[in-house]
Amino acid sequence: MKEKRENPGDLLQGTLDLLILKALARSAMHGYGVAEWIHQTSEDILKVEEGALYPALHRLELRGLLSSEWGTSDNNRRAKFYSLTAAGRKQLAQETEFWRRMSGAVARILQTA
Amino acid sequence: MFSEWLNETWLRVKALWRRSELDRDLDDELEFHLAMRDEKNRQAGLAAEEARYAAHRQFGNTMRVKERNREMWTFFSLETLWQDLRYGVRMLRKNPGFTLTAVLTLALGIGANTAIFSVVDAVLLRPLPFPASDHLVRIWESKPKEGYFRNVVNGLNFLDWREQNRSFESMAAISDATVNLKINGEPLAVQGLSVSPEFFSVLRATPHLGRTFTAEDGIPGRDNNAILSYEFWQKQFGGRPDIIGKKLEVSGPPPEIVGVMPEGFSLPNNKADIWIPLAIVRTKDWGKGRFLTVLGRLRDGVTLAQAEQDMARVGDFTAEQRPDFNKGWSSQVVPFLQDETHEVRRPLLVLLAAVGFVLLIACANVANLLLMRGTGRQREMAVRAALGASRTRIVQQLLLEGLILSFSGTAVGIAFANWGLRGLLALIPSSTPLPLIGAIEIDRRVFAFAFIVSLLTAIVFGLAPALRLSRVNLQDALRQGTLRSGVGGHRILRQSFVVIEIALAFVLMVGAGLMLRSFEHLLSVNPGFEPEHVLTMHIFTSPSKYRDDQKRSQYVEQILREIRNTPGVRSAGSTHFLPMTERISSSCFSPADQPPPKPADAPSARFLIISSGYFATMGTQLLNGRDFSDRDSFGTPSVMIVNHAFVEEFLSHEDPLGKKFHVCWSNPDPAEIVGVVADARHLDLQEAPQPTIFLPNAQAPMYFANLVVRAQGDPRQITRSAEMAVHRVNPDQAVSGIQTMESVLSDSVASPRFQLALLLIFAGIALVLAMIGVYGVVSYSVRQRIQELGIRIALGARAADIAGMILKDVLFLAVIALTIGLACALILTRVLTTLLFEVTPTDPATLLSVTCLVFCVATLAAFLPARRAMRVDPMLALRDE
Repeated sequence: MKEKRENPGDLLQGTLDLLILKALARSAMHGYGVAEWIHQTSEDILKVEEGALYPALHRLELRGLLSSEWGTSDNNRRAKFYSLTAAGRKQLAQETEFWRRMSGAVARILQTA
Repeated sequence: MFSEWLNETWLRVKALWRRSELDRDLDDELEFHLAMRDEKNRQAGLAAEEARYAAHRQFGNTMRVKERNREMWTFFSLETLWQDLRYGVRMLRKNPGFTLTAVLTLALGIGANTAIFSVVDAVLLRPLPFPASDHLVRIWESKPKEGYFRNVVNGLNFLDWREQNRSFESMAAISDATVNLKINGEPLAVQGLSVSPEFFSVLRATPHLGRTFTAEDGIPGRDNNAILSYEFWQKQFGGRPDIIGKKLEVSGPPPEIVGVMPEGFSLPNNKADIWIPLAIVRTKDWGKGRFLTVLGRLRDGVTLAQAEQDMARVGDFTAEQRPDFNKGWSSQVVPFLQDETHEVRRPLLVLLAAVGFVLLIACANVANLLLMRGTGRQREMAVRAALGASRTRIVQQLLLEGLILSFSGTAVGIAFANWGLRGLLALIPSSTPLPLIGAIEIDRRVFAFAFIVSLLTAIVFGLAPALRLSRVNLQDALRQGTLRSGVGGHRILRQSFVVIEIALAFVLMVGAGLMLRSFEHLLSVNPGFEPEHVLTMHIFTSPSKYRDDQKRSQYVEQILREIRNTPGVRSAGSTHFLPMTERISSSCFSPADQPPPKPADAPSARFLIISSGYFATMGTQLLNGRDFSDRDSFGTPSVMIVNHAFVEEFLSHEDPLGKKFHVCWSNPDPAEIVGVVADARHLDLQEAPQPTIFLPNAQAPMYFANLVVRAQGDPRQITRSAEMAVHRVNPDQAVSGIQTMESVLSDSVASPRFQLALLLIFAGIALVLAMIGVYGVVSYSVRQRIQELGIRIALGARAADIAGMILKDVLFLAVIALTIGLACALILTRVLTTLLFEVTPTDPATLLSVTCLVFCVATLAAFLPARRAMRVDPMLALRDE
């Protein structure tokens, strides 16, 4: 099954989706955790636009890439935890591959001087 | 791809049901995020207020996020809906002719459905207004072997049932009773019910004033009490609150008023203004005859099947106790609402189906209108698609326009229904009122029905055109000049709609045609009597005053003599049940020269208690022997008269005169046949004459009589003098039900007439709608083909060829439609069988004439546009391009 890339020009959108999928690849996390993980793992370079984070999470959930569950956070608050579905894992693999090729290509172009 | 779509749709559908939960979750989720951020900010050393502010600033506009997320979970946003709505209204307003036609067509269909549904709902669907009314049942006796079902019940059997059953909380017996009251010195016959004391507790009815009956009211001698209806109390006693304990004025010991029931309290089929106790006791008298109806309330948790089983056991007991009387008899338990409405259920459902057909035809018409109009909008659709509207969005837009049409149609339709319902209710013959307690009105339930119907309607007529039109070929549609030729694709769809319309209209016409034929047959039946010039009236003699048989027998004779002496009266007589009023009585009988068989084994025949002069007054011919006369009285040998059907069935090849029979109903000594009369219909016009025994009132007197009086001229003119004649004999004798025999006869066919009238109206509407449908489609296709026609005419085609070409298409469609319609009619009209009289649902004459009619109408509808096609000016047609 080949996923059609909607709005291929919207690189940022696709990037955020990819980062979310990646963040959730290891364990289930709530939205805040995802934002923090991306922020920290990118060594403070990438700062997720928080207003865009939640629509993205819900969209991925509707597409069946994520599933969600209400649970309790470390500090005992009710929080919604997202985790990858099988489709999500597959998607992550595909997107990662696409991103590698893409960034590799861009890097090669930039290297030629 | 599909599974993903399915998953998404499922999540969204789920979200529809838990919209508020979804909103709360979203709030919680964002709240959690902000709280976490706030905490982190504080740890970083910001002041509390500053930290929260920073958290919000970092997040941005939370409202916007929520809105975006909510939109994502729902099918469409309110904003786009609002846009589409405004756009749709604008499009419809731009095209007032189309909109008006569509809205009126739908209004007609939805209005008719709403009106009929309001009747169906009030009569068949709404639970009866008694607490836990689903536990109420009617219990009848039945004798399956002889085809007696829902038979009235014997008194002793009722007592056994009441004592022996294990499934009923309580059980009550009911019998009709007329009560002769004196109100302000005037005698007044009041419609009442004699009920065993449990009656009110079975219905769980509480009184408005005073009390209902208690077990004590069921003891003979203590039963002289009465309960009034609210309406009667208001009308006759001005709603006086001190009415309890007052005595009613009657001829005889006056009953005491112990209670007044609340407003509107009544049984669906038995309106009563007064209830008096029915004291049933174990005496020999109660062991004779069956005339009670029995109402029961099931215990909690007892099913109908269990109750039936239980009653079968009790039935065995009664058969064992009184085998002579009960052999072969068992009982039947029927849910109360179903029992009360069993006569109107089928006719009402037939009418509902008929209006359903009308609505379907209306839908087909509007669908075609939408398709044809849609052709003109192809470029619009293409432009929208080109500008990025998805197919879903376009379908959504078109469906929304359909909804606007359908809701407007419903609004107008409800106004139609409101108006039509009043006409409908006025048409319902007062002689055969609907079994109904409350009022029929357009209430919330009916509104809900209309709303659902309009939603479904919008889908039925809107979906096919919407799907069809949204499938646009951008390039074709946008290219100039191809608009006309690009439309051929809908042709099949349009034609299918027309075929459906004609077929449906045909089925309805067949139904109406069958009813018409049946009604014709009914009216041409010779009833066996001559209703012209005959006046009828009902008298009920107070049992307390005329307990003595002989006295009572003379009483009616006295009244008749007085009436016969009134100027303008030709003759007079009496019968205990009037013909055509659906009341019959049967009795067993046996030849006098044989030992009397047990009642359960003996043959039975109808019987009527009549006076001398009855046959002469009714115009029923005496075939043989003599009529009853003054000589037949107490003390003279018992006599009887039988009808022709009786002789045919029981005395063929024998001379009936002089034969003697025991008749179970009357006194033990055998009666001799002194006369034979011609057959007359009795129950109603439909039923063939049954073997009937006539006994003289002078020898077997009844407590009530229907007087029949033949006038020299207009029977209505002797009303007053006949009534006065009765009062000369007994000033306290109330007279009720004064009616000409002609109106009795006409009332007896009021229900079929009513059904017929409505079916004809609906079939007529259906036919007109189908005609409009055919007209619309043909004239549209003529407009589409105008160039082609122009070329043909230019090349020398004659007008007749052109018209033939157009008509041929229509006739082809009509033939397909009639074939389908015929097949459907043969299946569907079977439900009419029980409503038809001497006509089978496959009556060839009806099928043939309706086929011709529908064919002609379709041709006629096509003729006007065909004529326009003949007059196409080739120059104009070709220049047009």
